[in-house]
Amino acid sequence: MLGVGMTPFGKLVGPTPIDLARVAGLAALDDAGIGFDKIDEAFVGYMQASPMTGVKAMKEFGLTGLPVTHVENASATGLVAFREAAWAVSSGRCDIAMALGFEKMNELAGSGGRGSGRDQIDSPILPAAYFALWAQRRMHERGTRPEHFAWISAKSWNHGRDNPYCQRRADHEITVEEILASPMVAEPLTAMMCCPISDGAACAVLARKDIARRVQPGRPLVSVLASTLQSETYSPGHTFVGPVVGPATMTRDTAKQAYAAAGIGPDEVSFALVHDAFANEELEYYELLGFCDEGEAEKLVEQRETALGGRIPFNTDGGLVARGHPGGPTGLAQIFEVATQLRGEAGTRQVEGARTGLAHLVGGGSVCTVNLLARE
Amino acid sequence: MAARALRRVPIEPGYFNVPDDPEKPPQLLGSRCSACSEVFFPRRMVCAKCLERDTEDVLLGPRGSLYTYTYCHVPMFGKLDAQVSGYAVGQVDLPEGPRVQSVLTGGPDDFRIGMELELDLEVLRRNAKDEEVVIYRFRPCAGERSQP
Repeated sequence: MLGVGMTPFGKLVGPTPIDLARVAGLAALDDAGIGFDKIDEAFVGYMQASPMTGVKAMKEFGLTGLPVTHVENASATGLVAFREAAWAVSSGRCDIAMALGFEKMNELAGSGGRGSGRDQIDSPILPAAYFALWAQRRMHERGTRPEHFAWISAKSWNHGRDNPYCQRRADHEITVEEILASPMVAEPLTAMMCCPISDGAACAVLARKDIARRVQPGRPLVSVLASTLQSETYSPGHTFVGPVVGPATMTRDTAKQAYAAAGIGPDEVSFALVHDAFANEELEYYELLGFCDEGEAEKLVEQRETALGGRIPFNTDGGLVARGHPGGPTGLAQIFEVATQLRGEAGTRQVEGARTGLAHLVGGGSVCTVNLLARE
Repeated sequence: MAARALRRVPIEPGYFNVPDDPEKPPQLLGSRCSACSEVFFPRRMVCAKCLERDTEDVLLGPRGSLYTYTYCHVPMFGKLDAQVSGYAVGQVDLPEGPRVQSVLTGGPDDFRIGMELELDLEVLRRNAKDEEVVIYRFRPCAGERSQP
């Protein structure tokens, strides 16, 4: 990891997606301490902008002839762009690679509809409803209460209060009662348990280790231990119609692959950033990422182990639910936070003694990616 | 049986049938693998389980049991009645194997996990040929109660 940069997430009126990409990319280059001429290859992640936007965005930095590839994997787009950049470097194909994600979700809001063709069958079920189905089944099987989901959400909102890049920065300590009292979206998920509509951009620059050491001699070296990506495997009761992000075991399988590749276990992870587009997802990931046994996630909540200061802090930057979830850049905002924490630069939200960070996203379609980064 | 005034057509062909008899529930159009017998909804040409390239068409339902559900307090796309402000969504386990995600007919308090549901058709709109455009839904079977 040579450098990271991002724009604050939020409703950003004025700048175009390409403007946002330029701001985040230049910030990452400045953080890396190199010029754009040193970038050998770039991977650009976005979901909504028109074809060619990725290549056009890269031209903002200069015309150096570098190979540019557009990556799209729904919510997981940013981390998948990161994965491509990491593998481009570790395979020896290039020395320095850039992963850049940008999105203006607010330009899309209100343009929904039933669509045409197969979409007419799939589209009436919203992502909020899909994950609410997880929540309702969990409550049925495990006796989970809405208060568990509300605590997770309040925890993330409060983590985001000190993050200048966070979209929803509350001016007071958010309570479980406040989360539960916000408008119901899809039972049991309330508006404050659901991620907002976001705009923003984020960028990471990766380099060969010897280059990183040479360019940044005084800075703690953050390196990528593993970057895994899986799509669905068939299981009985598999669902094909409507929004599908799963089966949930996809996270377990992708995490196992990442831990094996990194040669570490979940007990060696200091903090985790996960796809909490809906707060109840995070509860499931406590188990699926191996931080507790099956059926024990509610205990982790009751003992407040996933808040800053707990055994395994989750979504230290506010998560998707507070920091925001623009789509393309979301995963790279996670990488921004992981790098910030591992360098010890997270200020009031610093995880004490952070050595290893995990970044996880799922994306519709569906896919899962798990990334492990460590401070050497 | 009195003839219907309007012909009913599916919103998209290939997912469910529309019986001529309006009293008869629709069925879903699925596939069964010729090699491993796994059943899928919707139809597919290649088996997702064993990768066999030979599948046969099968009719699924019309009944299944509710695996999970939620009630959405937001308007739905494409509704005929703009006054309807919310709707239920569920996953229904068919006896043939597939778990089907679908909109459910009923209010916030009409469902419980494990209850039996039956397929139904809902009229979404009238098209230019004056036909009723319909989509499948699941609704609680007669006699099913939301509370055990």
